[in-house]
Amino acid sequence: MKRAYGLGVTILVMIASGAVALGQAPKKPAASGEDVAGTVAILDHVWLDAAHNHDGETAAWLFAENFVEVHPGGFLVTKLQQVDMISNTQLGDLAIQSSDIQVRYASPDVAVLTDTTTIRGKQGETNYDGQYRVMRVFAKLQGRWRAAGAGIARITTAQ
Amino acid sequence: MRLIHVGVLALVLSCAPPAFSQTKSALAPAAAEDWKALDHKWLDSERTGDLDYLEKFFADSYVLVLANGQSYTKKEWLGILRGPDRPTLQTLDPENIQVHVFGNVAILTDHTTIKGHDSKGKSLDGVFNVFRVVIKKNGTWLATGVVMNPDLTKK
Repeated sequence: MKRAYGLGVTILVMIASGAVALGQAPKKPAASGEDVAGTVAILDHVWLDAAHNHDGETAAWLFAENFVEVHPGGFLVTKLQQVDMISNTQLGDLAIQSSDIQVRYASPDVAVLTDTTTIRGKQGETNYDGQYRVMRVFAKLQGRWRAAGAGIARITTAQ
Repeated sequence: MRLIHVGVLALVLSCAPPAFSQTKSALAPAAAEDWKALDHKWLDSERTGDLDYLEKFFADSYVLVLANGQSYTKKEWLGILRGPDRPTLQTLDPENIQVHVFGNVAILTDHTTIKGHDSKGKSLDGVFNVFRVVIKKNGTWLATGVVMNPDLTKK
């Protein structure tokens, strides 16, 4: 199921990014007309779906090797640590939903977006219930969009 | 069905280079970029109120997310720093600066100590683990995002 999902995601993103010739010209700008904002908005959902479904394969596919994430509380995690957390089915399930996705910056090889992510559930002793302001960074590396990192802050003030 | 999967896999493999080469690229330092100096200059300018520098250094896309989740655009944040409600900062010191470069975007993480107060005298003292994003535009690195978190890792 995860394999099929991963393949589906691959196809979806390739279609969305019009990236048939990815990787052949890594230093060239993306083909004109590429909908960068649309592509990374899809990847934003792919990312959260992977986290929700304990789908480490898709997360590993999405995350760049030098990926870094700063969790609420200031905990820094690497790609390996984040993928391990996502893959760990012993941890509880989280209901994760993003809204208010705003692409703050988009170029042929970089995109930065923010969203409001709502999480319901516990993992281990940690209760994640709440809303979070999230900044996600994507970079096109060797012709493929990868998640470079994320910073997540819990919303504790009225907006 | 199996044939379709094999075909898709072949396509993906032909399009996506090995992860090893991607790793090398992502880890390759940007030539001669002094990231620590960039981070210190950034925070020194916020501390001293060097708004001319910040106006140039912040990309139009800049967004600041404070530790309570409150977010500000470039215009909003510079407006605060220019206005009567600007905070007074005695210390704004980043340490343990780590850099992750991905071509034309870099993510800096640091441990920032803040000492100061807001316009009403409320203390802003704290230690934060900060996620910073800078983008390269026309050969110049510009700040485009910040997410702050209180450092609870040692509690």
